[in-house]
This record gives sequence, structure tokens and C-alpha cells, in this order.
Amino acid sequence: MNPFESNAALTMQGQFSSSNTHKYSVILPTYNERKNLPIIIWLLARTFAENELAWEVIVVDDNSPDGTQDVARQLAASYGEDRILLRPRAGKLGLGTAYIHGLNFCTGDFVIIMDADFSHHPKFIPQFIRLQQAHNLDIVTGTRYRADASPPMPGTTPGGVHGWDLKRKFVSRGANFLADTVLAPGVSDLTGSFRLYKIAVLRHIITLTVSRGYVFQMEMIVRARALGYSVGEVPITFVDRLFGESKLGASEIVQYGKGVWTLFTTV
Amino acid sequence: MTRAKRVALWSAVTSVAYFLAFFAYIPVPFVTAEHAEQVLPVLPWWLLVSFGSYALWSLGRGLYTFRECTDAYTELLSEISQAKSELRVKGVSVD
Repeated sequence: MNPFESNAALTMQGQFSSSNTHKYSVILPTYNERKNLPIIIWLLARTFAENELAWEVIVVDDNSPDGTQDVARQLAASYGEDRILLRPRAGKLGLGTAYIHGLNFCTGDFVIIMDADFSHHPKFIPQFIRLQQAHNLDIVTGTRYRADASPPMPGTTPGGVHGWDLKRKFVSRGANFLADTVLAPGVSDLTGSFRLYKIAVLRHIITLTVSRGYVFQMEMIVRARALGYSVGEVPITFVDRLFGESKLGASEIVQYGKGVWTLFTTV
Repeated sequence: MTRAKRVALWSAVTSVAYFLAFFAYIPVPFVTAEHAEQVLPVLPWWLLVSFGSYALWSLGRGLYTFRECTDAYTELLSEISQAKSELRVKGVSVD
């Protein structure tokens, strides 16, 4: 048996001209993010430059009325048309389809999904990459609820949240307990949407997911585990709602319960 | 097999085994018949109460160990102002 033929050996090598040999595509769905988009791109660019990584950002804008696309074009002119790709859509068509749309334009071999509202900080991306390379993981997800990485890795800071009151924390812990008991997903943060995927894995899972909203994020991880993909976790800090209060209504809680039940019965 | 089907199958098997032991059709290993007679009727309720206390403990521990990250917030604010000044130089419109 040729050791160079193993799947792990094949997927650990990349073919891009950086010291890391891989290229990381960030898919950023935006709607009315004119104020946040430049800063998040600046943070991403700085992180990738500091770590000498090949990168690109695909901005999937759902026809924002506030001029998000103009700012995206200015950023593309400043950082390079090969780095900032604006691929807009005709209207607000949902998160899952935004990722599918963005995947059509990815030239990297890894995809990072994250929110554009500063709740996810790009400084954790190198930690995701390190964990992924240490164990050849298919998916690395950020968790707000752990203090250490899983599988263990030195050099991480404990996860946490800023901007949640006690009631919100209680709801969050309750929701996690429910999901842990009903689904046993193997990850501590099921609704988190700050993740690193191998592009082939993301393409596979995304064709199978049917939910919408944040249940979609849950479904991706649950399906990934059911299909046997390896998932690791890195603790992240989550600054919710930089401006304004974080609100969680009863309808969202009911929707979450329905989502968990649907996943329980269909996956 | 979906998770629901697996759980249903496992519950069905365990329930059948429980009721067989409860009605004394099969003996419980390592335990005398007298002890089994006393313990088996209350076993489901004991499981329910144990699960309830585990759930409460888990929620309490989760709330107690929930980490605040205020320095992440302040660091982010300073990064935002730094980003804004550098982006203005590059000609990108920021507020």
C-alpha cells in the first residue's frame, strides 16, 4: 500500500503558492451592511496578511438598498478584484441559497462562513486553520461555550459572549441542553455560524440541507456528523449586537424547537 | 436510520425488557426476586427524577460558567476606529 496514496495525504496538500499551500474563500452574505462591510474586510485582510495566507472574499449581496454594493466595489478597487469578489443577487433570497450562490465563485479549497456584523472576529481564523491542519478535519466550528479546543490544541483563548443579559444566557443554555439531549450532535455550539469547511464537504452537505434561517446552520452540522465527517471546535468570543440590544422573541424559540424536532425525525 | 427511529427502536426494546421483568416473566440477574419486586415499579419514576435533576444541574452549571468577554468588545471598538482611519486613506467610504 502506497502511503502517498492515502486520502489524508492527498487532502492535506494544497496547490496554491503560499507557505500554507491552500486558499481560503470567505463567503459573506450581506444585506444592508454598508457600515460594517469595509471594516470586516479590513480585519480579514489584516488577519490573512499577517498569517501569509492566500485568500478571497465573496460578497453575496441581496440587493441592499443602502449602497452596500458601492462600498464593495470600492473595496475591490482598493484590495484587488481577485481578492474581493462582489456577486450580488436580485433580492433577499435566504442564507442557504446565498452560500450556494457564493460556492459557484470560490476558487479556494477551503470555505469560511461567518457573519458580517462583528459578532465573529477574523482573528480566530488562523486558529481554525491550525486545528484543521493538525487533524485533517473536514469542518472546524467556533464555539462560544467551551474554554478549550476540541480536539485539544494549545494557543486558544476561552470562548465567551458579550452583550447578553441573564435571560438570554438562560435561553441559550436551555436551547443547547435541548439540542444536546435530543440530537447528541457532538459539538457544544450547534447554532454557531462561524465555520471553516473543506470545499468538497461544504458542497456535499449543502445539497442535502433543506432548512432555512439558523436551523440551517444546525442542520449542516448534524448532517455532517451523520455522514461521518470530522468536526473540531475552537473557542471564540462572540460580541453580539455591537450597537443595540440583543433580542430573542418567543416565536424564535418556537421555531428553534420545531427545527430541533425536524432534525430529530429526518436525520 | 434516522435518529428518531434509532431512539424508538431502543426504547421499544428497553420497554419490553422492563415489562417482562416487572411482571416477573424473566428474572433480573444479580438481584433477588424480592428486591426486584420492590425496585422495578419505581424505576421509571426514579429515571425521570434523575433526568430532571441532571437537567437542572446542567443549566445551573452552564449559567455559572458562562464567560463574559468585555475585553473582546473594547478591543473590537479600537480596531473599528483604526480600520476606519486606514480605509479613509485608501478611499473607501466609511462613516
